[in-house]
Amino acid sequence: MRILLVEDDKKLADMIARGIKAERFALDVALDGDSGWEMASACNYDLLILDLLLPGLSGTEVMQRVRRQNQELPILILTARDATEDKVRNFEAGADDYLTKPFAFAELLVRIKALLRRGPVIRDSVLRVGDLEVQRLSQQVRRDGKRIDLTAKEYALLEYLACSPGRVFSRTMIIEHVWDQSFEGLTNIVDVHIRHLRSKLDDPFPKKLIHTVRGVGYSLSDED
Amino acid sequence: MNPRSIRFRLVVWYAGLLTAIFALLGALMYARLKGFLEENIVEAQSRRARQIAETLLVNVKQIGEPYVVREVQSVYAPELSGRFIRITRVDGTEMYRSGPPNDQSFDPAEVEAAVPSTRREFARKQTLPDGHALLIATFRAVANGGPPYVVEVGAPTGPVEAVLNRLLLLLGIGLPLVVVVATGGGYFLIGRALRPVDRIAGKAEMITQHNLSERLPVVHTGDELERLSVSLNRMITHLDDAFQTSKRFVADASHELRTPLTILRGELEHLVEESSLAPEQRDRLGSLLEEVERLSKIVERLFALSRLDAGEAQNEWMPFDLTALAAETADQIALLAEDKKIAVSCDATAPVPVEGDRARLKQVVVNLLDNAIKYTADGGAVHLQTSIANGQAVLEVTDTGIGIPPEAVAHVFDRFFRVDPTRSNETGGAGLGLAIVKSICSAHGGTVEAESAVGRGSRFRVKLPIAKPNPDRIHHA
Repeated sequence: MRILLVEDDKKLADMIARGIKAERFALDVALDGDSGWEMASACNYDLLILDLLLPGLSGTEVMQRVRRQNQELPILILTARDATEDKVRNFEAGADDYLTKPFAFAELLVRIKALLRRGPVIRDSVLRVGDLEVQRLSQQVRRDGKRIDLTAKEYALLEYLACSPGRVFSRTMIIEHVWDQSFEGLTNIVDVHIRHLRSKLDDPFPKKLIHTVRGVGYSLSDED
Repeated sequence: MNPRSIRFRLVVWYAGLLTAIFALLGALMYARLKGFLEENIVEAQSRRARQIAETLLVNVKQIGEPYVVREVQSVYAPELSGRFIRITRVDGTEMYRSGPPNDQSFDPAEVEAAVPSTRREFARKQTLPDGHALLIATFRAVANGGPPYVVEVGAPTGPVEAVLNRLLLLLGIGLPLVVVVATGGGYFLIGRALRPVDRIAGKAEMITQHNLSERLPVVHTGDELERLSVSLNRMITHLDDAFQTSKRFVADASHELRTPLTILRGELEHLVEESSLAPEQRDRLGSLLEEVERLSKIVERLFALSRLDAGEAQNEWMPFDLTALAAETADQIALLAEDKKIAVSCDATAPVPVEGDRARLKQVVVNLLDNAIKYTADGGAVHLQTSIANGQAVLEVTDTGIGIPPEAVAHVFDRFFRVDPTRSNETGGAGLGLAIVKSICSAHGGTVEAESAVGRGSRFRVKLPIAKPNPDRIHHA
């Protein structure tokens, strides 16, 4: 899997490159629109991550040129703009996904993996984390063989975390996945649901599965 | 009529001045005319007195007093012409005195004797007991080789007074008439001249920071008003520039901060994931990440505000039910209020159709509820209500919280405003939540207002235009 990142800010490009390489993807970096377009047209990439404001060719122009040549290549837009009409315009111009700066790196990874159709999408009907068992078809949850009753939201939250054990999810990612939308002021709902989930899932047991990563978010794992 | 308006004051001044000038003119005219007429009468009488003295009395020795009396009587016929003639000898006895005039306007017997004078010729005005006045010219006649006589010839002032009274009447009617007509005309003319001021003022009142691109009407009259409207327009242009600059600055700053924040956040996240960290170090990094998160939120809000300022609220404009939005949001937020044992009640049953950007209006409800919960003590209550009142959609959020001091109520919607600056770290916000609420409401053609009593709670009321049922109108606005 080879990814092309077109981002004019060197430090941001380095930060993203390091994170992506740690996930064992091959990554090339272009620091301006022209070289980005040259590289995209010269090699076969599996994913293009594109900043919109670039020196030389703008991100939108690069995207349009790439689209004329290649309809299949997934394109993820990184931008400092978040107005809805920009989003709409870019989706129309051929973007597959859209991430507004500043973003959590975990979120970038989730989106990259979703676009590459690999990674966290586990199709097993039963998810297991330690002694926790999540039956996806019947939506039943058991821990240590004991049945645990969850509300619909708690279940959706748990399933989301259980799909990628050990991965840290930000509140925004969780709320967008479980509630479809994110609102400033409402992200704290995640904390409340996590607390409810903990009281049912972790409190009766000595080993805790739900972990808080301060400043980042939550993860589910049977490691400490 | 406003007694302090320029129009009113000008007209009052104008009328006052006009009255004063006319009154002065009238008085002068009256005095001059009176003097002139009286002088004329006196002159005519003294001419007659001199004639009597120089043609008759000078030869009294030769012709004899009775002849003089006869002559005077026949030549001057004082009773017929309404005059008074008297000739007095040097010993004070009368040689001749005319009889009462035909019109009986005075009684000659009542005319006092002339006061002896060293002057040969003088005039006096004699008012008789019955109120009539006579102007009398006196002439000392010197007879050839005989004693002198005093000749008095007088005429009543009646005709003069009649003329003067006529003049007074004319002035009395004419002056107020002229003042009224002139004042009315002045009022009309001033009104006409000031009409552009009304138009300029009306337009100027409609210009706010949201439509600074508009300009005042310029009347090309070449007068002071044209200058005024041109300079006001220039001022609006300067204001517009200043506003644009500050908006651009906020937009640019919030834009430029995003990339460094992304790097900060990403690098810190990478660090946190390194397993070699001590728990204390991990905790510090977490704290840093929380601050980055806070900065990001401020940048996000500033950016949202600058987009709203630029009038970019109309992206996803659609009709929807405000009641459903309120109920749904109250439901989600109730979960957050649980912690503080605050009861969130929602009185939203009847549909309230509005038009707008649903996501942004949801942010309004979230911010208001979030605020209400934040500033309400444990165990309090927050109430949400939607209704239609006076043709407007109304959404009210009422809490039993700490309230807002009266002097702060007007400022709660200002950017970065805090009722209590020391609380900023506790509540975590940046004082932008309510500013965003206000901007979103204005962008939807609505308003938001706050009322509060310290210690008893606050109420925030959002008013939005109600959606027209006509489906053709849905995507305009």
